[in-house]
Amino acid sequence: MSNENVLLSIKDLHASVEEKNIIKGLNLEIKPGEVHAIMGPNGAGKSTLGYVLSGREGYEVDSGSVSLGGEDLFDMETEERARAGLFLAFQYPVEIPGVSNLEFLKASVDATREANGEEAITSADFLKQAKEACKKVNLPVSFLKRGVNEGFSGGEKKRNELMQMLLLKPKLCILDETDSGLDIDALQVVAEGVNSQRSDERSFIVVTHYQRLLDYIKPDYVHVLSDGKIVKSGDASLALELEAQGYSWLQTEPAEDELEG
Amino acid sequence: MSEWFSNALIRAQDLTGLVDQQWMDPVRTKAITQLKNTAWPNRKTEAWRYTPLRSVERTTASVKSTENDLSQLAPVVIPGIEPIEVVFIDGRYCAALSSGELPEGLSIVLGSKLEARDELLDKLSAIKPERHLFGMLNDALAQDVVWIKVGCGVSIDTPIRISNLSSQSAESHVKAFVSLEEGAQATILEMADAEGQTLSTGFTEYDLAKNARLEHYRFALQTGDNVSVGGSHFKLEEGAQLNSNIIGFGSDLQRLDTDIIYAGENANAKLNAIYLLDGKELFDLHATVEHAVPNCVTEENIRGIVADRARAVFNGRIHIHRDAQKTLAELNNRNLLLSDKAEINTKPELEIYADDVRCAHGATVAEIDKKALYYLQTRGISRAKAQVMLNFGFINELIDQMPNEVIAEWVRPMIRSRFEQMEVK
Amino acid sequence: MTEQIDKALAREYEAGFVSEIESDTFEPGLNEDVIRRLSQIKGEPEWMLDWRLKAFRVWQEMEEPDWAHVDYPKIDFQAIAYYSAPKSMQDKPKSLDEVDPELLRTYEKLGIPLIEQQMLAGVAVDAVFDSVSVVTTFRDKLEEAGVIFCPISEALHKYPELVKQYLGSVVPTKDNYYAALNCAVFTDGSFVYIPKGTRCPMELSTYFRINEQNTGQFERTLIIADEGSYVSYLEGCTAPQRDENQLHAAVVELVAMDDAEIKYSTVQNWYPGDEEGKGGIYNFVTKRGICHTNAKISWTQVETGSAVTWKYPSCVLKGDNSVGEFYSVALTRGRQQADTGTKMIHLGKNTRSTIISKGISAGKSNNSYRGLVRMNPGAKGARNFTQCDSLLIGDQCGAHTFPYVESRNPSAIIEHEATTSKVSDEQMFLCQQRGLDPEKAVSMIVNGFCKEVFKELPMEFAVEAGKLLEISLEGSVG
Repeated sequence: MSNENVLLSIKDLHASVEEKNIIKGLNLEIKPGEVHAIMGPNGAGKSTLGYVLSGREGYEVDSGSVSLGGEDLFDMETEERARAGLFLAFQYPVEIPGVSNLEFLKASVDATREANGEEAITSADFLKQAKEACKKVNLPVSFLKRGVNEGFSGGEKKRNELMQMLLLKPKLCILDETDSGLDIDALQVVAEGVNSQRSDERSFIVVTHYQRLLDYIKPDYVHVLSDGKIVKSGDASLALELEAQGYSWLQTEPAEDELEG
Repeated sequence: MSEWFSNALIRAQDLTGLVDQQWMDPVRTKAITQLKNTAWPNRKTEAWRYTPLRSVERTTASVKSTENDLSQLAPVVIPGIEPIEVVFIDGRYCAALSSGELPEGLSIVLGSKLEARDELLDKLSAIKPERHLFGMLNDALAQDVVWIKVGCGVSIDTPIRISNLSSQSAESHVKAFVSLEEGAQATILEMADAEGQTLSTGFTEYDLAKNARLEHYRFALQTGDNVSVGGSHFKLEEGAQLNSNIIGFGSDLQRLDTDIIYAGENANAKLNAIYLLDGKELFDLHATVEHAVPNCVTEENIRGIVADRARAVFNGRIHIHRDAQKTLAELNNRNLLLSDKAEINTKPELEIYADDVRCAHGATVAEIDKKALYYLQTRGISRAKAQVMLNFGFINELIDQMPNEVIAEWVRPMIRSRFEQMEVK
Repeated sequence: MTEQIDKALAREYEAGFVSEIESDTFEPGLNEDVIRRLSQIKGEPEWMLDWRLKAFRVWQEMEEPDWAHVDYPKIDFQAIAYYSAPKSMQDKPKSLDEVDPELLRTYEKLGIPLIEQQMLAGVAVDAVFDSVSVVTTFRDKLEEAGVIFCPISEALHKYPELVKQYLGSVVPTKDNYYAALNCAVFTDGSFVYIPKGTRCPMELSTYFRINEQNTGQFERTLIIADEGSYVSYLEGCTAPQRDENQLHAAVVELVAMDDAEIKYSTVQNWYPGDEEGKGGIYNFVTKRGICHTNAKISWTQVETGSAVTWKYPSCVLKGDNSVGEFYSVALTRGRQQADTGTKMIHLGKNTRSTIISKGISAGKSNNSYRGLVRMNPGAKGARNFTQCDSLLIGDQCGAHTFPYVESRNPSAIIEHEATTSKVSDEQMFLCQQRGLDPEKAVSMIVNGFCKEVFKELPMEFAVEAGKLLEISLEGSVG
């Protein structure tokens, strides 16, 4: 069944949170190297998609299938999905006081290496890599010693996410509203970081409410998510169209009827 | 009335009048009199509500009369530090293992060797509150007292370590008095080590004169069937500063009382305590702060992780006396339970008689932060490993606050390996 | 500033009058004969007398508690009269017209008119005067809905099976010294039964009044909410101003069956004694409810009276998903002592409890929160949140917090927080600068501090509670 040219294949996915259906029949195929933007109004299920794909507790898959590199994603634990190359950059990364960023990063890199049959990286080598990654995302090296995201500003948290991406070298990156809470300078830094990671082997799902981010990260495809389904797909120009018209045109006719009635 | 308790009273009585013990008779007789009027605690005794004393009642430990084989016992090595050693073995001061040469301004003297014994007798047991049954037992049964004195304005950079070492089946009662004279500074580390079934009481009183600064560590890391009841009691005069760090691993019975008493204004204290329990261990920490004067500041952070069938008890009392206006006092106690057989009993108390104060306490018992666990998993870290990391992080936050980095570095791997053991089960 | 605030808090005790009513009162003293006589007057069945005598024997074996942080002279239990009833009540008046007008006037003066036409629609009242229930209003209307609301002495005759089944089922005789005493000598109180699936059509309310000198009041309340039912019950209490202390030792038991909900509100305004601590009620009360599956019990209390209060309305959360709540405002002044709080015992899965306690201490009073949250091994996924705030007014009072937190389930989450604060000079200055007088300013600040609790009270009571604090601040700054 597996198609060599497809990295991620989502087929008729239905998922719910606390017994409420959020994703209602979603289909999507992503090939290596592609950048897909998913846009949509608040409550469309954009963030839920990232959580369902990464395997967050409480996000139940009701039906449908998802494969990553030909493997059934739902057969894997959260951490196994990560090791298989799925990376979720969080909208609001959690703070973990007491666990140093360096310890955390090394543990995650080692876990992925071990899963790929590689040996654990030496501390010295890792420190070198981590310092380089810090430089790339414009974070002071001192951040490696601090608690994970502890006391980081919004922009610093996003850059810390990006640094993890650099070190883990995932196959599929889901950027969940990475632009939220960032000023234009911070946005540019993050976008540059992402762009530097684009390659034939790495695909992206860029989840965003605004077109703004897509000025910096040019997508190959744009999908509009509404009420748990992709209602429209197109190229980058669709994003501009949405920017001009907003999401209100997506409202289904019956809703308006109800209003009048 | 337990048999052990009545025997202890008889043994204490036997110590009075002995040639080398006679000088302590005032303290000893007072304690014996008080003890005779004190009931042996049961479940209805508030201070022992959650901590049964069965393991004291049933102990097979006894006071050793023979000289110890010193080759068996020695304080553990802390890489990077050569402390000034004050060593007790089975309750008796051991000159051979204790440091002889001392820096200027520091004196460490055995009470019986003191010329000014009365001065020490006056000070002894004045800071430690009388309500503590085992404190009184310690007064009644201790055979040696060490007085550590740091002179006026003297700063001792090398940590001073008081070690309470017990050999197999030994009963011991260790007593020390520490005075920091005006403007003095010191770091004191209290540690105990025991093998097999032992019973020990270890009480240290600290008298901090004006503007004195004390960095204090008390590590109760002996596990297994050791029974240990002890206390560290501090009196702070004007402008004195205390930074106290406690780590407890549980054992058959591990009880620690700490009292911080403000006797002068503008003093401050920070108490950080950690307990990590496994197996059937029990650890009980009672921390009392007496704000008897205005303008003092207390901050307490107490964290514990309890696994398997272990039980933790914490009682944190902050008492603001009528005159103690402008007091700032905060206590925070956080606990994680790792097993459905584990148990935590915590009781943070505020008793406030002054209105212009800011006091708060918080206590939580929770499970591991699920969001953090998920976050680590999305980065490829296994659930089990993520749990260890988060547990460690929870505790490490307090270790990071230890002022002495060398000690912190020494503690960290011990804590980490303790977690790894805890998680294996 | 403190003096100003204190003055603002000083107040007349408006309910302190004595009603001139001829009563039949037992001679002071307590023994088995007294209990037999009491039981006989009430015409109780044999089993009830046996139950009382058994409790009395238990009580005799028990030790009088010696509570930390509460200080009062030893009570002489032989100096208390254990029964007192207006003579006019001897023949059990059949309707309101037959009730002694002086009795009705007493309640009217307290703001509780018992003539139904004059009453707040939507509130049924059981008026208990010393040891007997005077009248219970709106009974017909309640009967239509199948709701039983009557004096417990009457329930013993009419619904003996229900009483026998549930009496002492939540608070066992041996529970504590005063509960045992109550079991032996309780006189009257309210009995409520809400049938399956019934939403009680009106608020139920019992108003307790102690009038006679040297008597104790030992009332007993039992509320049973059957499956899926709902009831809101209110309780109020006052007593005359006397120099002697009087004992009030009540027991309240609530049973919330599956999916039922009981909301129990109290505005306690027993005579607190004078500024110097002379006189006042000793209010030693045991209140506890048991929640079965999906049930909810909510305790709300506003405690402003009594010389000494010792009271911990509690919830046993036995059924899965059951909910317990405790909202409390305790105001102490003069030499009042309040030791109050709650116990939340989590037994079932996913049980939840919330505790909000606001203590206000003024004068030379002492105000303690004492509480217990226990997560038993079966309380998987249970949660508790506790917030205890103390407000100190003046530097002669005390505010204390003694929470016991016990957990034996790793998935249970407990959060406890406590803070203290004072009415600051800055707050007072701001209010005064904006044109408020000190009384109004303190009242506003205190009311703001208590808001979270007041909003839990039923409307009628929220007004009364607000008024209670208001009254205390009115017209007293000279």
